[in-house]
Amino acid sequence: MSRTLPRPRWWSIVALVVACTGATEEVDPQADAPAGVNTEAPANPETPEVGTVEQMSKGAESVALVPSPIETQKALEASGIDTQLASLIPEHAFDLEAADTDHAAVRSGVVLADLLLTVKSAKKAEMIQRIDTIARGMEQLEGGDDIQSTLKEMRARIEADAVTRDELLQEFDELSGAVIPELRFNGQDRVVPLIQAGSWLEGANLVSRALEDVPDDRRGGGERLLKAPSVVDHFTTYVQTEGSDAAPEVVTKKLRETLGVLKALAEKTEPLTTEDLTAVTKATGDVLALL
Amino acid sequence: MITWLAPVLWLSSAHADTTEAEACLRPKVWEGYAEGWGVRTMTSTEISDGKTRNYLITLYAGNEYRVQTCSDAGARDLDVLLYSDKGSVVARDNTVDREPVVTFTPSETGTYYLVVYHRAAAVPSGKAAVALAVVYR
Repeated sequence: MSRTLPRPRWWSIVALVVACTGATEEVDPQADAPAGVNTEAPANPETPEVGTVEQMSKGAESVALVPSPIETQKALEASGIDTQLASLIPEHAFDLEAADTDHAAVRSGVVLADLLLTVKSAKKAEMIQRIDTIARGMEQLEGGDDIQSTLKEMRARIEADAVTRDELLQEFDELSGAVIPELRFNGQDRVVPLIQAGSWLEGANLVSRALEDVPDDRRGGGERLLKAPSVVDHFTTYVQTEGSDAAPEVVTKKLRETLGVLKALAEKTEPLTTEDLTAVTKATGDVLALL
Repeated sequence: MITWLAPVLWLSSAHADTTEAEACLRPKVWEGYAEGWGVRTMTSTEISDGKTRNYLITLYAGNEYRVQTCSDAGARDLDVLLYSDKGSVVARDNTVDREPVVTFTPSETGTYYLVVYHRAAAVPSGKAAVALAVVYR
């Protein structure tokens, strides 16, 4: 371990948060045991009785539900489509003064996705600007002092050319996958899902645009990346939560509409058509334009 | 009397040590970076003896996934199982230990269920702290 990353500090944030988090749902595998669970793998008498899919999903946690932007890029390439999502990222004109939870969280998620996807190609100034935007969002969302220190330290090392792009990729990956999702945001439960929604919407927008340029018969499994009904349901739950910190109705309304479009397409059994992809591009683009 | 009871009470409450579980998991995740693994998520939880925790997880076809776990001394045997959205076991660990790992390359993009099963506690009816990471490459 020759790395000089501030990892112990990051993990101390995570540990502190976990210590303060309320209990999540634990499942008694013997309770409501089903008549039988279909098992493709060799039968093991000691397989826990987890019940039916409905029973299994009841109380299931969503902490690992949402794929990361880098993961999406890899899956796109695995499906035979070489388009680099980073090359499709537009110049976003965000309203950084919009400080309500929905705005700040979704915007931070979008920028986090851009930061990850462009880590190998972005100019130093672009990276710093994205880190500053995330820091602003974390401040508006009451993410706490530790995340500000972490971002500040990252920024300083980038500015001083004291960190390689490979190291940054790992650090941003951890920031997105482990550090920010474990922050408490002063007890605001909606923040992390909305940040993830922002990252996922940006990813969906980029994937749909990438696929629009690929002939129907060459899209392979790429279009499946846009079919994630569980992810859409997860985000919808939080978008529909009302609160005093909610964004202006125009934003939440558009977000709900967009998730509705994505849900309908996610449930399509046939492959997505070019028209479907255009609908995804437009629906996600409309939300991104409001941020 | 109180002094004698203290260790007993401590054992019976089976205090779960999240810090220990995380300290075990952290280096495994960091070392994975050298092999091209990226992090989807890292989290911690507590599981009582004989109970499970279920997680919804989206997996993309073509990517390779690994679920890495570590529990504190509260567990004697921890298991990890991955179920398809039809309820079929698609991957599982077959070890008797408290640091199970499962690797899986899905052929279908979709939602899966990750089940972490506290099969046997170190102390009957005890709790275990479990740190969990989902990594991909």
